[in-house]
Formats: sequence, structure tokens, C-alpha cells
Amino acid sequence: MTRFNLALRLLWRDSRSGELTILTLALIIAVTSSTAISLFADRLQRTMATQAAEFMAADLVISSPATIASEWLSKATQLNLAQAQAVEFSSVLIEHDELLLAGVKAVSSAYPLRGFLKTDAAPTETVHHSGPKPGTAWVDKRVLSALKLKLGDALHVGEKQLTIGNIITYEPDKRSDFYSFSPRVMINADDLQATEVVQPGSRVHYFFQFSGDTKALSEFNHWLKPQLNPSQRIMDIHDDRPELGSALERAERYLGLSSIIVILIAGVAIAMATRRYTERHFNSTAILRCLGCKQREILWLYGSQFVVLGLLASTIGLLLGWFAQEALFRLLRSLLPQQVAAPSMLAVFFGFIIGMATLSGFALPPLLRLKKVSPLKVLRRELEPLPSSAWLIYSLAVGIVGVLIWRYTGDLKMTATILGAGLASLLVLGLLVNVSLRLSRRLLPHLGLTWRFGLQGLLKNSRGSVSQILAFSITLVAMVLSFIVRTDLINDWHKQLPANAPNYFALNIFPDQQQNFQQDLQQQQIDGSRFYPVVRGRLVTINNTPVQQIVSKDSQGENATHRELSLTWSKELPVDNKITAGSWWPDAQAGQVSVEQKLAKSLKVKLGDSLTFTVGSQQFTATVASIRELRWDTMRPNFYMIFSPGTLDAFPSTFITSFYLPENRKDFLNALVKQYPSTTLLEVDLILRQLQTILSQLTEAINYLLYFALMAGFTVLFAAVHTTLDSRIHEGALMRTLGANRAFLRNTHIIEFTLLGLIAGLLAVVISEAVIYALYTYVMHMEYKANFYLWFYVPLTGALFVGLAGCWGVRNVVNKSPLEVLREL
Amino acid sequence: MQTQPLNNVDRACSRQTGGIPTVPGIVTTENLSKSVVTSDGILHILSSIDLIIKSGESIAIVGESGSGKSTLIGLLAGLDTPTSGNVSLNGKLLTAMDEDGRAAMRNELVGFVFQAFQLLPGLTALENVMLPLELSGDKNAKASAAALLDRVGLSHRLSHTPQKLSGGEQQRVALARAFVTKPAILFADEPTGNLDSKTGAHIIDLLFELNLENKTTLILVTHDQALAARCQRTIRLDSGRIVES
Repeated sequence: MTRFNLALRLLWRDSRSGELTILTLALIIAVTSSTAISLFADRLQRTMATQAAEFMAADLVISSPATIASEWLSKATQLNLAQAQAVEFSSVLIEHDELLLAGVKAVSSAYPLRGFLKTDAAPTETVHHSGPKPGTAWVDKRVLSALKLKLGDALHVGEKQLTIGNIITYEPDKRSDFYSFSPRVMINADDLQATEVVQPGSRVHYFFQFSGDTKALSEFNHWLKPQLNPSQRIMDIHDDRPELGSALERAERYLGLSSIIVILIAGVAIAMATRRYTERHFNSTAILRCLGCKQREILWLYGSQFVVLGLLASTIGLLLGWFAQEALFRLLRSLLPQQVAAPSMLAVFFGFIIGMATLSGFALPPLLRLKKVSPLKVLRRELEPLPSSAWLIYSLAVGIVGVLIWRYTGDLKMTATILGAGLASLLVLGLLVNVSLRLSRRLLPHLGLTWRFGLQGLLKNSRGSVSQILAFSITLVAMVLSFIVRTDLINDWHKQLPANAPNYFALNIFPDQQQNFQQDLQQQQIDGSRFYPVVRGRLVTINNTPVQQIVSKDSQGENATHRELSLTWSKELPVDNKITAGSWWPDAQAGQVSVEQKLAKSLKVKLGDSLTFTVGSQQFTATVASIRELRWDTMRPNFYMIFSPGTLDAFPSTFITSFYLPENRKDFLNALVKQYPSTTLLEVDLILRQLQTILSQLTEAINYLLYFALMAGFTVLFAAVHTTLDSRIHEGALMRTLGANRAFLRNTHIIEFTLLGLIAGLLAVVISEAVIYALYTYVMHMEYKANFYLWFYVPLTGALFVGLAGCWGVRNVVNKSPLEVLREL
Repeated sequence: MQTQPLNNVDRACSRQTGGIPTVPGIVTTENLSKSVVTSDGILHILSSIDLIIKSGESIAIVGESGSGKSTLIGLLAGLDTPTSGNVSLNGKLLTAMDEDGRAAMRNELVGFVFQAFQLLPGLTALENVMLPLELSGDKNAKASAAALLDRVGLSHRLSHTPQKLSGGEQQRVALARAFVTKPAILFADEPTGNLDSKTGAHIIDLLFELNLENKTTLILVTHDQALAARCQRTIRLDSGRIVES
């Protein structure tokens, strides 16, 4: 206990004399940033997941063509899950001699479990947390115009007469399948039976929706899965909306990356600050050793000071981190959903653990050197302790960072990529810098005095310079990574959803109408995608083996074999599609097929396999000529199977296309519907808008995270420069006593620090490009492009920043009297 | 007349042998040598040093620069290890101990005064003097340290850090720190080397007064003939060998 008191007193005395300021600052930055990001990421992730859940109007949905076993619902009740049901079917509505095929949706009173409905009550929209009351119907505006109705009129759905209560403008779980193509009529589930539309054998889709505790949902999901029949599906946010899933997943990964970056930056700062602390304590340690302190007592004495310091700084960091993320949420309030998930204690605790782990991983290696200080140093000041076995001990830091990265990303591959690429680059480049520094020694005799002293500043302790350059490089790399990945991610999203992304799909265009339809669009100067012929068919065998025997349950392949697929043919490879195996129609023969990559994997289909399809009562076979990768989220028609021209000629086909119609030209739709009554128009505006909102929210959040990471980076870079100044200040003061004037000293410092920053910047570009390439290719699956402008900006930023921070740090050498400087050291 | 408390050696000896020291000297060396390997070959810094220093004796080690004085004092105090030969403190073979064993010996028996003062920069005068007592777990550290600082005339400087003290004042703090544990042996390495002659003379007076009060064995390294003359015995080194004892 006495020893601990002594450690506390030494800590207090050190902090009073300003020895610990930089180290404490670095630690506070580490914990503040990691807590803020951990909390922010956690809350945002959960908020986004909740919002994504709104797209399904629930956390988990069972879709089924028939009602489900009542014991399933009892199980959900037993697990305290909230429940709602929606039944969807098509029905022809007849009013005022007008006919309309409507998508009817009968919802229970608890619907929607997540999200809300919106109705148009001009001039504003009204938000509802439940659907229509029994006896009323809410309809799409198109229903009113098509059937010549107005609000308050009667509408007949089957045998049931309902009153039109509202114009529905937003439905959270509006899906892009057949039942949602047609204009919506939403009714209460209690009225369903009275419509008498749903009869045995009717094509009806049931959606059983559940929400509640994540653990209970997961238990329910596991319990349910083995009992599903082939026509039933469980959906959750990640697999239900692939376009949203991938955006969320990437955003989550970026958040993870930001955390890693801040930890790395802070780690570097801690290592540098501890190194300075250690070096400044060599003499004191020698005296303590002289006074009888044993080696392990020295370690204990300093170790316990660091633990106490860590606890204090972590507590301050936690509080600051908490406020920082609150401020971030406040800043983003207008963009985020009204209900933001509450901060979780686990995330707070995690910020704290990160602080302590980063401290021990990065501070321990330099600190261990104190153990090796010889007491003889009191007599011979030049005696320096041997450095600790660096590789063995830094592997501790790498290990700890590795575990943290892995915990954040939950992704072993990403962890290995970052660590592997980073370490390999550091090793190679460290050697390279060392060699170049040695070589530049030869330049010295040919340089003027100022340049010679500037360069010598770097060369005389080349080992120290190499580690400083590497440390600055890591910080710059972290900042560059944060910036580049964010920019590319956002560009990628914008590319995915440009402002004029198609917002309508037109299906069932008959071949004899196709040209007119296309002309009509062109005349109106409406941007449209290609027209693709569509034949509905089912995949039955692969190499003569029935598909059901090949695919695993619940896989994408399994889903694809249970329904009809849209089959098309094309001479050219569609835009956004990329061949990953084989080639695009090696010969012009019919009977070839190109399969989408994920489906091919799920169906275990290889090049050269023969696939048999049925269309109506006929069968045909095609050989797999290529495998394609494509993006489902482009809002253009996309296909699992594309055949070579001629393959599907024997079957009747219709055409599909998508186009962008600006908000103010919606009247054109009515003209289209009138002219092509058999054509189905699918409006994806709402889906598109939802997606755009989410992406812009994510973009904002990611921008703020970037600013945060950059701010932490600059602060730490500044602190890090500061930790390297002691010997320079000392030498500068000595030089002044020898008659060096201020301008000379200032210039040598500018040269030395600018060179240091410049080299660190150049290295940072090389490492960044390597890490970005690895990250994009193996982890984020984004296209890598060399960023040439980095070669200009990063070395410039490094030179400017390290130059300025360094010159500012040693300004006392120039401004104060040398004696004063020497006495302060 | 006030009775002086037993110093550490007396206490240590009492514990071991009922008050009769087991060895003739409190510090003894036997064939002590130190050499280092340099790029020009082996450099012999000390060769075959045999010494017996009795308890309470005051010894001056003198010699030219580079004659091995500081190396010898480092070996005697257990701050360094010899290439060959033995050093015993209070009958215990230092050369048979590991670093932690030697550290324990230093804490128990030894005090130091250095040419460069070697005060801890972040600590006040009082805290610097308290430090060795705190390390040995003494609960009265503050009172003892304050009393000793008062004894060296620095009661008005207790809360000053070394940067705010003059060289003479710093060395007085160092003296207080050296004597506060009542060590059996005090090693002083050029204690006046960084001071002007008047201040140096004050420090030496103080050193000998404290030495007398505490019955400490004093081993000091110096260039100063006058200072050497105040010691009971002078050992002269030349090229790592004793040429006068």
C-alpha cells in the first residue's frame, strides 16, 4: 500500500511538472474518440437497423401463401413478440363502369409494427401508426382518378362496400413484387372475410410480422426455420432488401474502419509520448535504482502510475466521448429518424476497455526500458538502457490492435488484411527510409551550412528519425484512409442512385406495342433503360439432376427454384453486368445461358453445365457459357438468366423497361396507362426516396466521422511532434551559446521538420495505396483506382503540418535565452 | 550528552552476530578488476584492486582524470559489476548477488552524493529527501526529511524544486537525502566539482559534520587535495592501479 501511495505521489508530482500532459492528452483523445465512435456507431447501427426494419414494417416477417400454424403464433406470444398480419392479393375493382386491377392489402390493427403510414391531407401529409379502421379503405391517388372517385365515396372490394377514408402516400413495406405493382387499396383485416375475395385456391400472400427483443427474435427464427415448408420464407432486414443490406453493411464497415483508425492514431501518440516520458525518466530511474529500488519495483512503480493515469484519462475520455456523440446526434438531428436508439452501456464499457488496452499495448514496450536503466547512470550520464526486445513486445501492441479491429469489424479477413498490409508496408518502407537516409549522408559535403545542419538533424539519429517518420506516416495513412474510403463510398452510393435513377418499371409490354411505347418515351424526352424481352420460366434440372436435390434449404438457389424466373435474351452484355467466368456468347449460337454469380454459386452451377427450363408445358435446355456479376440496386431491369439470341424464340414474350419520370410529369403516367392498358406500371419512387434518404443520412454521419478522425489525427500529430523536441531544443540552445543566430536556427529547423513531414507524407501515400487496394479488393468489394492527387497533397500536408508544428515547438530555442532553455531541460 | 542512534551497520551487525562484526572492514575488495572491450582491443580500467575500509573510516580516492576513480566507486557501491574479483559490503559478497540483491543492499546500507547533484527534477526539496525513506516504507518520512533539511539550513526552501535552487542549495539537499536514511556508508563522487570554492568549502564542512554525527563510513572521490587531506586516508589511483594507500 505504501508503494502504491508512493506511485500516486510520483504521478501527482510528475503531472504537476507537466511531464504527463502529452501522454494524458493522447490517452484522452484515444478514449474520447473510441468511446464517441463506439457509441455513435452502435446507436446509429441500431437506429439504422430499426429504420431498415421499418421497410418491412417489422423486425421479422414470415411470408407464406397460406395461413401458418397457430402454434407458431403461440410461440411468438410466449416469446413476448408483438404480432401483426398483412394479407395481399389482386382484385379487379369496378366503379362508374371503370375497371382497375388493384393490389389489395388487408392489415390487422397492430400493423405496422415498425415505421408508419402516411396519408395525404393537403397541404401536409399525416402520419399514422395504424391502418384503416373497419369499414374504411385507404387508396392510392391513382385509384381515385382511374375509377372517378373522391374521398368519402364508396368503394367495393369484392362483396364488401367500404368508405374511402384517406389517400395513402407512404407504406413502409411496399414491395416491388406483383401485388405491389398495381395501385394500392388498403383495408382492415376484419373486413377481409366479408369481401369474399379470398377463397380456397386464390392467389393470396400472407405476411406474418413480428417485432421485439433481438434475442427472442433470434430464438424464434431458429425455432421456426426447420419447420418451414418450401413455399414459406423468413425475412429479416439483411436478406430482405439486398440494396439496403449492402449499403448498411458498407456503412457499418466504414464505422468500424473509423474506430480502427482513431485507435491507431491514438496508439502511435501514446507510444511516442511514453517514449518521451521514458527517456525523460532515465535519470530519475537511475537515482531510484541507486537508492535501492529493485527492477520489478521500478516497473511496478511506473506501471501502477500508468494504470492510474489510464483510469483517470479513460474516465475523462468517456465523459467527453459521451458528450461528443450526443453533440454529433444533435448536429444530425434533422437527418436522423426521430427515434434514435439509446446509448448502450456495453458500448460505453467498450470505449473504456479500448482506452486501457491501447494504453497497455502501446505504452508498455517503451515503459519496459525503464526496467533496464543501470544505476551506474548516476555516475556516467551517457549510459542509455538497451531497447526492449522490440519485435517481441511490439507484437503485443499489434496483437491488441488486431483483437480490437476484429472485435469492431467482426471480420477476420478485414483484420488480417489491414494488419498484414500495414505491417508489411511498414517493414519494407522502414528499411527503405533507413537506406535512403544513409545514402543522403553522401550529400552532406556538397550542401550549404543551413541545409547541412537541417539534414544532419535527421541523419545523426537515423534510427530515431526512421521511427518518427514511420509514426507520422501511420497517422497520415490513417487520415488518408479515412478520407479516401469515405469519398469512394459516397461516390459509389451516388453512382448507385443518381438523381435520375429510374423510378418506374413498365412490365407486360406486348411485342407489337414495344416500338410505340419506346417512341412515346422518346417523344416525351424521358430517360429509359433498354427494353428486355421477358419469358417466364422455371429451372427444373441441372445436368439432368432435379434442382431440388442440388440446392440447400433456404438458399437463394432454393428460392429461385420455387418460383418462375424472368428469362431474357440479349446480344450485348447489359450495362452494370460484368463477366466473372467464361465469355459473352463465344459463338452466335442459340442454346447458351449466362447465369448470375450468386445464384450460380448457390445452385453449384459451373461453366458448361446444362440447364433445363420449363416454359408453360414446354421444356428447353441451354449450356452455361458465362457467369455474371451484377448490381441489383441500380433500378434497371436485371436478370438471373440471360440467354443467347434465338434460344427463347419459340416462346411468347413481353417486354420490360424502366424509366425516370420527374415528379411534375406524373400526368404522363395516366396517358400511358390509357394507351397501354395491359401494361403494368410499377412505381419505385417511394423505395427510391427511402433509399436516398438513408444514404444521405449515412453520408452525413460518415462525413462527421471523417472530420472527427482528421481532428484526432492532427491533434495527435501535433502532440507527437512535440514529443520529439527535447534533444532538438537542447542542441539548439547549445548552438546559440556557440554563436548561431536565430535565422540560422530557424531555417535549419524548418528544413529538418519539413523534410521529416515530406518523407512521412510520401511513405504514407505508398502505404495508403497498398492498404486501400487490399481493403477494396478483398473486403469492401469496391473498385480500386489509383489516387494520383494523393501523391501531391499528402506529402505537402505532411511537410506543412510537421514543419509548422515542429517550428512552433522549438520556438523557445529561438526566442528565449539559451541559459533559460538549458535550465528548463 | 545526547546519545547517537545506532547506524544501519551496527544494527545489521547486531542482528547477525550479537554486535561483533564478522569481517575486518565494512568495505573490502579482493583482486578487483574491470575491463571493457573497445574497437582498439581490451581496455583495462581497473586492475587487481585490494582494499579494506573499516567502519567509520573516511577515505579519499584521488587520481588523474581517467585513472579509474569513478569506476572504482561504482563497483564499491554495487552500481556496476567487476570483470573479475570480489567486493563485499558489510561482509556480504556483492559480486555474488543479482541486481535486485544489490539494490536491497544499497537501500539498507548506502548513501550517495554526486557531482551533478542528481535530484529528481519534478520533486520539491522536501520530496527529494523523503524519497529514500518512502522507498523503505518509513512512515515518518516527512518529519525526518524536514528535520534534516533544517539541519542543512534549508528549512525555508522545502517546497522549491531543484530548478529554483542554486548549485550549493541543490548539493545541500543531496546531502540531506544521502544522510536521511542514516546509511552505514556514504559514497561521494566529486561532491564539490560543480561548485565555487566558497560554496564547496561550506558543503564539505557540512558533509564532515553530518558524517561525524552519523558515524558514517565516508568514501569520496576528489581532485581537491585540501578535501583529500581532511580524510583519514587517501588512496591514489594511476592507470587503474593503487599507487598509494
